[in-house]
Amino acid sequence: MATEFHNLQELRHSPSLVTKVFIQRDYSEGTVCRFQTKFPSELDNRIERTLLEETVKTLNSYYAEAEKIGGQSYLEGCLACATAYIIFLCMETRYEKVLRKISGFIQEQNEKIYAPRGLLLTDPIERGMRVLEISVFEDRGSGGSSPSSTMSSGSSAR
Amino acid sequence: MLFKCLLRCAAQQTERILIVFVLMCVSRCPWLTKVISPAVPLYNGLVFLFVLANFSMATFMDPGVYPRADEDEDKEDDFRAPLYKNVEIKGIQVRMKWCATCHFYRPPRCSHCSVCDNCVEDFDHHCPWVNNCIGRRNYRYFFLFLLSLSAHMVGVFCFGLIFVLDHRETLGALHTTVTLVVMCIAGLFFIPVMGLTGFHMVLVARGRTTNEQVTGKFRGGVNPFTKGCCGNVEYVLCSPLAPRYMLDPRKKPHVKIQPPFIRPDLSDRQITIKVSDNGIHSTIISSKSKSSLDGLDDKETQPPLPPKADRYNQLKSQMTSSEGKNHRNTSTTAAWWCFSSLSGKTHPSTPAMYKFRPSFGTMPKVHYHTTEEKIVISDDRKPSAILEEGVRGHDYRSEPNLDLPEYANAPLHRTFQSSPLQLDSDPINSRTLSLKQGHGRPEKGQLPALEPRTVTSTPYKSVFSPNNLSNRNGSLSYDSLLNPSISPATASECMAHRGVPSVGFHSPYLPTKMCHIREPDMQRQQVPPTYSPVIPPRVVGRQSPHLRDRDPSPVRYDNLSQTIMASIQERKEKEEREKRQMHHGRSQTHIYAQDSGVFDGGYGLPANACYPDGPRGPGSRGPTPPAYGGSRDNLMGVGLMSYGQRTPVLRHAGSTLGRAPRTSPTSLHTDQSSINSSQSRTTGPEGPYRSPAHQPHSPAMPRSPSYSRQKLSYISAHERTDSPQAMKVNGQMDCHPSAQGAALSPSRHSNVKKVTGVGGTTYEISV
Repeated sequence: MATEFHNLQELRHSPSLVTKVFIQRDYSEGTVCRFQTKFPSELDNRIERTLLEETVKTLNSYYAEAEKIGGQSYLEGCLACATAYIIFLCMETRYEKVLRKISGFIQEQNEKIYAPRGLLLTDPIERGMRVLEISVFEDRGSGGSSPSSTMSSGSSAR
Repeated sequence: MLFKCLLRCAAQQTERILIVFVLMCVSRCPWLTKVISPAVPLYNGLVFLFVLANFSMATFMDPGVYPRADEDEDKEDDFRAPLYKNVEIKGIQVRMKWCATCHFYRPPRCSHCSVCDNCVEDFDHHCPWVNNCIGRRNYRYFFLFLLSLSAHMVGVFCFGLIFVLDHRETLGALHTTVTLVVMCIAGLFFIPVMGLTGFHMVLVARGRTTNEQVTGKFRGGVNPFTKGCCGNVEYVLCSPLAPRYMLDPRKKPHVKIQPPFIRPDLSDRQITIKVSDNGIHSTIISSKSKSSLDGLDDKETQPPLPPKADRYNQLKSQMTSSEGKNHRNTSTTAAWWCFSSLSGKTHPSTPAMYKFRPSFGTMPKVHYHTTEEKIVISDDRKPSAILEEGVRGHDYRSEPNLDLPEYANAPLHRTFQSSPLQLDSDPINSRTLSLKQGHGRPEKGQLPALEPRTVTSTPYKSVFSPNNLSNRNGSLSYDSLLNPSISPATASECMAHRGVPSVGFHSPYLPTKMCHIREPDMQRQQVPPTYSPVIPPRVVGRQSPHLRDRDPSPVRYDNLSQTIMASIQERKEKEEREKRQMHHGRSQTHIYAQDSGVFDGGYGLPANACYPDGPRGPGSRGPTPPAYGGSRDNLMGVGLMSYGQRTPVLRHAGSTLGRAPRTSPTSLHTDQSSINSSQSRTTGPEGPYRSPAHQPHSPAMPRSPSYSRQKLSYISAHERTDSPQAMKVNGQMDCHPSAQGAALSPSRHSNVKKVTGVGGTTYEISV
């Protein structure tokens, strides 16, 4: 886009990134990928506890499913061995499939639940699966009292 | 570039394998095919292919590299963040170290590879054969490579042997010679390869990584990551291929975020404080902070939980709320880290923690946390800089402390100073006691009681850190402020002070500020704000007497309670006496002993050393304020007279410090000996001025058996010496222990304890 004409009105109402809340990994059961379900206090007035907990629990279940050592993983391993691992070039592993599912899930959650509340979930894979990042946006309101910062995904760019 | 190197090394290895294989094939296969079976070359071919495939996977596969953390994430783990973060895995405390390169706390089993300059998940080792890190994703392939290579070598050797044995007569023939050579090579490489294979088989069975095995992480301990032998083997061989983290940024569909935003009901929520983060300051609601404090207290009793982040957030919010000002996030977070690391730890962390830093090991004491919270939120702000091995050498304390937030700008993750002094003091004390004396300290129990009052940060820690003798904690002693020559670091060691956490060398105003800030807390807790930077006169020989040079103390005396004022008075008198003593050419030890130079930064360590001595030697002095012997005891038996006791103890420590303003840990021992020697003199009539001071005046004092013993001896010594005069001789120690009674008498510190605050400020608190 050549030039963006920022309507002052629009700018005024575009939300700005205020802070990021990080939900850390829950290592109580080892190095299995799990996120803490404890509700961060910063989001107390932004979203209902149940919603966020539900999201985190679903994510945890997805990750558990991805890392499950069972029939499918055995098969995958044997097949890979037998084909001298060339199969990895052709096929998507089970984990990658689940990751794609997770990505879709997060996208959907963002659209339905979090964006209307001024929050944005970031896929943990982008952070090395160490944290679940929740970006908190604030309505700048009139006058732009809060410092504006670049938004990763924002509505200002129209 | 890296890829080229990788290729080159991989190529070299492959070449070798290829050569061996080819040679073997050429020389023997035809014959072997004829003689044994056509399956021989097939078998060999397969095995060789397997070796090659696994080798390639191990070489070229991403081992599980973590991408660098975002800037935003980094801000959360602030400059003040502790170097370690504890997490509980299956009931076992595991510590996560802050990675300065990657800017996050390394997940368990993760390690930073210096060759690759990346943090690798489930880091095993960096393999030079494949020139790649072996981590979570490619460990299986590496293991299979080793297995298959071993099998291949065994095969080559055996078949070669058969061939040679069969062709014994024609050893000179080309084929036979080549086979022999190949056999020799195989035999030569057999030993290291088999050795490594066997080693990894053991590791797989035990569920450990090479890194863990070599560093002895679970030596004598339990491995929380093991799933049993079968489970471990299954995990290595059959687990799904882990995902790559170093992905190209995917184009994600933008999610539109448009206000107005839906807000949940605020029905029963209290007014929330927006946690200031990322430089955004929020409104503070003081009431919330108080409640938060309570909440924190409750939390402390909880067992350590992995979800430290939650606490962090809460703490952070609480802290910011209490601060009520623009604080840099760093300070907040730093304080939080201090808390978080401390809180939630019901017991000392894994032994590994101790191996790293004594102070760290003690950090997670939960009870400290409680006190801290109560005491001052602002303490959190104090930068807890974890001592780092490699110390940055930045002395954050040296920054003017007029602003607490600035104060909190301590260097980063590397240094951790728990702001509440108690954190430091207690661990330190207990540690020193245990280390030095090797016996359980009865006083230890007291120390926790003392804790609440110690607000200062961790000068002890710095002291104990062999590498970190920096002045990170600054010199809290007023003396150090006046005498820049004194190393600030040591000064800060004298901790157990509450309050002057880091009055750095350059910031005489910190104590004031601290006192100021603490006021409300103190009042709340009924704990006298302790220290006033009354600078005890350092060893005269060493420095110019401060009494003379001393500027009006920056401490706002009007803030202090009566007891403190009394202690300060006594302290001043004592200092004067000491000075006089010094002039009289008293023995060095005495001088030192009297010297409350413990407060000087440089003496932090020795001060700590003193503590252990206290209970041991004549240190079991009662809460006699003047004598630092007593102070030492006081420290120990703080339970009762908390701060009062502290002073004397510190003072005692100070004496040792005075002797040798060393900051190195070794000085601890030296100082101890000096302390001991000086203590031993206490019983002498003219003996160390200490004796009068040591009079164990307050009943609370005798915490240790020796203490009571000493008490008696001191008392007798005191009486012998005809107290008033003795007092004078001893530099006017206010030793009318018995006469004074419990009340604070400004000039007679019978019950006044001199506590050396962090940074060398001494204050006397009546017992």
